[in-house]
Amino acid sequence: MKEEFFTPKARWIATGVIVILAVLPLTGIPRAWLLYLFLFFVYLALSNMWNLLAGYSGLLSLCQPAFIGLAGYTLVIFTWSGLPFYLGIIVGGIVSMAFALLISIPVFRLRGIYFAIGTLVVPEVLRVIFFLWRPIGGELHGAGAGYRLKGLVGISGAETYWMALFIGIISIFLVRLILASKLGLGLAAIRDSDSTAASIGIDVFKLKLYSFVICSLMTGIAGGVFYVYQGYVEPTTAFGIRWTMILMLSTVIGGMGIKEGPILGTAVVVFLHFFLAEYTGINLFIQGVLLVTIMIVAPHGIMGLIRGMRVYRLLVQREQEAIECGSHRAGRRSDL
Amino acid sequence: MGFADLSTPVVMGILLGGLYALIALGLSLVFGVMRLINVAHGDLVVFGSYFAYAALTLFGIDPILSLILGMPLLFAIGFTIQKFLMSRSFGVSMEAALIIAFGLSLILQNLNQMFWTPLSRGLTTSYSVESFSIGEIFIQLPFLFDFAAALVVMLSLSIFLKRTYLGKAILAASQNKRGALLMGVNTGRIYALTFGIAMATAAMAGVFMGLTFPFSPTTGLSFLVISFGVIVIGGLGSMIGTFVGGIVMGLAQTLGAQFFGDAAQMLIAYTIVLVALSIRPQGIFGR
Amino acid sequence: MISSAPLLKNHVQESDHEALLKVTEIAVFYGNLQVLWDVSLTVRPCEIVALIGSNGSGKSTLLDTLSGVIHPAEGMIEFSGRGITNSEPFEIVSLGITQVPEGRQLFPDLTVLDNLIMGSYSRHARSKKEQNLDLVYEHFPILEERKHQLAKALSGGEQQMLAIGRGLMSDPRLMLLDEMSLGLAPIILDKLYQALKEIRERGITILFVEQNVRRSLDEADRAYIIERGRVVLEGPTVELREEETVKRAYFGL
Repeated sequence: MKEEFFTPKARWIATGVIVILAVLPLTGIPRAWLLYLFLFFVYLALSNMWNLLAGYSGLLSLCQPAFIGLAGYTLVIFTWSGLPFYLGIIVGGIVSMAFALLISIPVFRLRGIYFAIGTLVVPEVLRVIFFLWRPIGGELHGAGAGYRLKGLVGISGAETYWMALFIGIISIFLVRLILASKLGLGLAAIRDSDSTAASIGIDVFKLKLYSFVICSLMTGIAGGVFYVYQGYVEPTTAFGIRWTMILMLSTVIGGMGIKEGPILGTAVVVFLHFFLAEYTGINLFIQGVLLVTIMIVAPHGIMGLIRGMRVYRLLVQREQEAIECGSHRAGRRSDL
Repeated sequence: MGFADLSTPVVMGILLGGLYALIALGLSLVFGVMRLINVAHGDLVVFGSYFAYAALTLFGIDPILSLILGMPLLFAIGFTIQKFLMSRSFGVSMEAALIIAFGLSLILQNLNQMFWTPLSRGLTTSYSVESFSIGEIFIQLPFLFDFAAALVVMLSLSIFLKRTYLGKAILAASQNKRGALLMGVNTGRIYALTFGIAMATAAMAGVFMGLTFPFSPTTGLSFLVISFGVIVIGGLGSMIGTFVGGIVMGLAQTLGAQFFGDAAQMLIAYTIVLVALSIRPQGIFGR
Repeated sequence: MISSAPLLKNHVQESDHEALLKVTEIAVFYGNLQVLWDVSLTVRPCEIVALIGSNGSGKSTLLDTLSGVIHPAEGMIEFSGRGITNSEPFEIVSLGITQVPEGRQLFPDLTVLDNLIMGSYSRHARSKKEQNLDLVYEHFPILEERKHQLAKALSGGEQQMLAIGRGLMSDPRLMLLDEMSLGLAPIILDKLYQALKEIRERGITILFVEQNVRRSLDEADRAYIIERGRVVLEGPTVELREEETVKRAYFGL
């Protein structure tokens, strides 16, 4: 698909789409729609990153909420100190990145399933810490240990939307860039088998680290953008498993390890948000059922299904198969 | 804060450890035999608590008595989950099973919430609020029951695994799947049985947990993390290891509460999990 | 290596309904990769048959197919006249075919005794547990000595004995052995092959897979030589030993 994407025709289409998306807020469309598009692009950035980790690098990271939450709290500190919020977003990303580096030392020594456990615990720990610790004095918001963000009054819905659009588009480029690079090929090899990759000279630790760190940066930034919109940060939701759920759903529905997967998947997830807004009671239930069903019926997501269809195969040039192929073979539980 | 004051937290920590061992048992079993992390485990335990709660509040049945129904029910649920969901995922990828478990976790949380609202509940019976003192040591009765239950379950399971054909088959399948397969073990059925047994223990764990602590639809996660801690510290494939792991976690919590206050008690426990993971993921007794 | 030698089909067409195991033209795939082409073989009661081939020749795949771990895409497998082409491994064990797998695949943290007991897991073998246990101890006295030790504590040769013993516990009529000799000293091998002969005396048929051509031809009654997924030679070992192509290719003459 890479070839396709960079053909002149594709480039025009892509530019056109981006322009249209950028102009949307000025066309007077309903605020609610803008909101859903906003969410779409934020979630897209997040799930593109998670796809890179879980779908391509074989790192089933349940740690994303840590990055998101940390970015949020960085934003709190910045806005309360009177510093510009956009700086707060960027620094939030950097803080997440630094944290990722920090925990990579213990966590990367864990293989497979232990890695998942380790990354599951980290956000939980942070949740408890931020429940008790007041990084900045002052009034709390809400029942928990939440903080309202300050100095955001002047920002319009359009501006937050544009920020989200920006990072969403960047995330797509980032993924393609990485996958096309040596890093990407290395990751595909690692996903198939750590030891085999090591035996052909790939520095497994280093590549995983790069992947993890890059993703944490982007995730942090996306988190920051989200909190600019939401206006307050609170530990239970900031570090909560709901983020992981959204990411997993977006990536899995679209198709893990497939470039376009997150785009489709996120669209479905946001649509579900919209659709299920009235049914807050069974929200989780439906998402859970969806997750289970997809994994059983279409483990490679919607993109996987589409690719299986002959119609699609006839229509599309598939020269960039090499990396995607990994997702079909890789990770088989041959020990079971 | 002299050392004499520590006697209560220490004893309570050990007793609590029994409960934690019991809770972690199901997770350990499934992971040990099938290398599957059932991230829905905590939620299944809480489901067990809610089942007992239903029996108590709707029919006035004592929670421990309700296990007569609860255990077979959860056994059946576990058997079904493995046979029809998890087994399908094994051929797909490593992550598939984890993701399915995650989905189940969401489903359970929502189900529990739908029926029982997000409010905290507890299994309150005549004995669940009793306590007594031995000298200076203050013991809450439920904790004692937890420990006793843990002992009974783990002893029985140990005997079952070591002395019966089925038990040995489970052990064999966990040590060498191919070997077991070639000796005529129907590994698919054994896995389903294992999951079922794991869930039956979860039912018990749920009841005793509910007698000891309040629970809500979201408490599953913290029990999951605690169970991880137990397994990581105590290792797999060893009942004694699981017990030791439980006790370490229990002590971490009670002593943590003693020195750092109630709010931080989980923190100590979580930190221990992370430290243990970094140092020796396969546990003290692990293979 | 002989790749296009003509098939020596001496004596093969003898009354096939006598055959205990009859494999007819099976093709086996690993996913999309074909591993066995058009493989046929027969094993008659109380024979010792060798399946000889180098690494990657497909011999282990053949055994796994016989054990039901893999199913052939084409062809048929019959045991005592009964079709078992698509049977599950546990069904095949209960019918009387047991594999002693490559690398032994013991249960390392179970005792020698428990490993043996696991051998009798199959329903039909449980009632004969004590009987077979005595038999195993007769063939391999050392296993009785070490019966309460963990399997992982045994030496290579002892582990192989345990693997064979475990196989015997399932009361088989046909025993399949995969690369029994890997990593074992000749003295130990002598003992093992001696045991195989004794086992055959008790009425159990044996099919073993080996890389070592010379030894295999010495120990077996008949042999099939398999190369790159096809049977290239077959026949009684007395004749194969004299066969020019074999001598040239495998004995460097």
